[in-house]
Amino acid sequence: MDVSQYLEIFLDESKEHLQNLNTQILELEQDSENMDVINEIFRAAHSLKGMAGTMGYKRMQALTHDMENVFSEVRNGTIKVKANMIDILFQCLDALEEYVSSIQETTEEGTNDNEPLIKLLNDILNGNDAGATEENIEEKSESTPTAAASQPGEEPWKKIKLDDTDVSVIKAARAEGNQAYGITVYVQESCLLKAARSFLVFKALEENGEIIVSEPATQDIEDEKFDLDFSLIYLTEDPLDKVIAKITNVSEIEKAIGGVVDISGVETEKPEETAEPSEKPEEDREAETTETTPVSVSAQNAVAVPAKQEKKAVTKPVVNRTVRVDIEKLDVLMNLVSELIIAKNSLVSASAVEETSNTTFNEQIEYLESVTTNLHESVMKVRMVPIESVLTKFPRMIRDLTKKLDKKMELYMSGEDTELDRTVVDEIGDPLMHLLRNSADHGIETPEVRKARGKNETGSIFLDAYQDGNNVIIEIRDDGNGIDVEAVKNRAIERGTITAEQAENMSDKDIIDLLFLPSFSTAKVVSDVSGRGVGLDVVRSKIEALSGEVEVKTKLGAGSTFIIRLPLTLAIIQALMVMVGGEKYAISLGSIETIENITPADVKQVQSKEVINLRGNVIPIVRLAEVLDIQSKHDANESMVVVIVKKGEKLAGIVVDELMGQQEIVIKSLGKYINKCKMISGATILGDGEVALILDTNALF
Amino acid sequence: MDEVKNIADSTQFIVIKIGNEQFGIDIKYIDNIVRMQNITRVPKVPEYFNGVINLRGEVIPVMSLRLKMGLETDEFTKMTRIIIIKLEQHEGIGIIVDEVKEVMSLENEQIEKVSYDKEEKKTFVYGVGKVEESLVSLLDLNAVLAENQDK
Repeated sequence: MDVSQYLEIFLDESKEHLQNLNTQILELEQDSENMDVINEIFRAAHSLKGMAGTMGYKRMQALTHDMENVFSEVRNGTIKVKANMIDILFQCLDALEEYVSSIQETTEEGTNDNEPLIKLLNDILNGNDAGATEENIEEKSESTPTAAASQPGEEPWKKIKLDDTDVSVIKAARAEGNQAYGITVYVQESCLLKAARSFLVFKALEENGEIIVSEPATQDIEDEKFDLDFSLIYLTEDPLDKVIAKITNVSEIEKAIGGVVDISGVETEKPEETAEPSEKPEEDREAETTETTPVSVSAQNAVAVPAKQEKKAVTKPVVNRTVRVDIEKLDVLMNLVSELIIAKNSLVSASAVEETSNTTFNEQIEYLESVTTNLHESVMKVRMVPIESVLTKFPRMIRDLTKKLDKKMELYMSGEDTELDRTVVDEIGDPLMHLLRNSADHGIETPEVRKARGKNETGSIFLDAYQDGNNVIIEIRDDGNGIDVEAVKNRAIERGTITAEQAENMSDKDIIDLLFLPSFSTAKVVSDVSGRGVGLDVVRSKIEALSGEVEVKTKLGAGSTFIIRLPLTLAIIQALMVMVGGEKYAISLGSIETIENITPADVKQVQSKEVINLRGNVIPIVRLAEVLDIQSKHDANESMVVVIVKKGEKLAGIVVDELMGQQEIVIKSLGKYINKCKMISGATILGDGEVALILDTNALF
Repeated sequence: MDEVKNIADSTQFIVIKIGNEQFGIDIKYIDNIVRMQNITRVPKVPEYFNGVINLRGEVIPVMSLRLKMGLETDEFTKMTRIIIIKLEQHEGIGIIVDEVKEVMSLENEQIEKVSYDKEEKKTFVYGVGKVEESLVSLLDLNAVLAENQDK
């Protein structure tokens, strides 16, 4: 068996645990007495250690082990949480993150032992039982959370729940002179192939007897979904010591303990309880203890278990019934839905050509249309994840920045549950981080300045996410200094980006837009945090790559707001199909403001560019035929169709030959061989199988 | 696992024709061969890109081997085919050829490696295969396709 197949799961879960630790430690900093938080931290550290150990990442295991020791002492109340301890813990998390990212890139954890950190951790432990052994800790973690279910020290196999059939099997076996033993097998902690070892145990036992129940279920043991021990109920005619000897003969088995099963007790104690093997592994992993009792938070079991367990349910978030699905599988599903929509479109176009006014046929097409639309929506929803997973790392970042920049600030977030396509969520983290750093560094003033300006010493940064129609809006707002338009202007002139005359003619908005140009920073001093001038242009290009847009509003002295607008879905959009010189192009409906009929006489020249005056707005127009090197079939003297598209608050007109109507289109990438054309953002397949290109109207501005 | 007979010293090629010259394309890079079909032009790309086609729901770019090699523009006939190539780590791309002739197996000793020549179209060829009387130029697909990314 090879652990590499678990690498992805390991990485996923490690990241989750690290994120969880970050959040919880932040909380601990606010409320150092909160037992729930401490328990949660302990659990996360413990699972990280276990996982790193299983995967053979010794350094990561060593570091988490020492962290766990510290938490364990905190939990026991022998150490108090102090500010410097929090700092050290954060450093540990950073070190762990390094391990994880190194594992992700090279599958090796790297060679950094992080000895200074381990020493610091041990210093914290000093004065206490610094030499607390692994076993001690293990035992604590084992007994504390399961205290409700059993007395400490009880052999785990006694916690196996037997249902009626098991009991009757045992009874029947006894009648035949066989004995039923409960056995708990402990695998050595260093054992890498736990599943293989346990398989050997099973095999050895089944030579002369029968295993009727195992805990966790056999399948889970085979899949290595257990910590260091598993328990069995075993029917055999051999005496117990012989059975135990057989088990310990298998290498890398630490020990095995066992005894005769007392079915009378089992029967009367919990008559209606049934073992639910399928649910247990998940629970166990979640709880990350070595418990073997199925502690389920489901209502059915909560009734049956003693009240003490309810406390546990509070400290542990309720486990949603979820399935982890590879994003690639969802992509396949999405592709199939796309195919279906294409097929539907071709049916629609076929029926239009035939002109068969067959009502049933049309009805069926309409029905198919509603089914495909629903299906598409459902698949999209499956791909949607809350933006929360990205946002959770920001409080920690702002905390660190507070210390680094010597400023006081708080981050307020709302709308963490706003959902976005998984691919967007993965990409949006960096731009948001840039913007937050910007706000912290350039926006928020030092406490002294804030005081002098009559503001609250503590600056506020707000991050609000919400859905607006087919878009998701993320706003990052601060009550800091705002953008000094004059400073930007002067700097732009100084750098030769614009001339002084140009600057005279530019609106404030245009000048703020300069900030998004590559290598432009207004920070007087290049700081470690931001101001290297690589920030905003990266933000902009990243967001535009996601078909989104960024906008800035600012008021000098009062703060600035960055507004990010992202499309809800990427794969399928509503589009307007247009015709230019015999070629078909799609324009995303989301970017279209209006469609106008313009007579050639309305087109004016301004600075040798063609513009139209539309209800008081001067709008530049672009002749699509010209930019795409097509021979327009349109008569120049006739009135022309102009599609008015918007980008943020800017408008532009696209002159096309003819409109073909609205259609739901599936976006396909052009591939990297041929993506050199900035005007084209992708392609789509029409009902007749023809490929039409999708215009990227943002490139027109 | 059964021992597969040693095929390491022979390679299979699809033989195509461009003009009067025969070229061989290593069969392991060939995903598909399709008939000529409607190609949607993509503006503002190098001339040798004809555009994109719909290959069973996938949008695949198509390039002209003739234009790439500096020959005259393709004349699409009934024999014209689009060969869909998939190099590892890359998405598919179609190349237009005048005609697809046959599949041919070449032993290693039948292949003569050629060093790079100043003559431009030869730079797409990494070797020449000799079968009986005819010669087949073996296309270096990486060279044919990689250059696209530079330009």
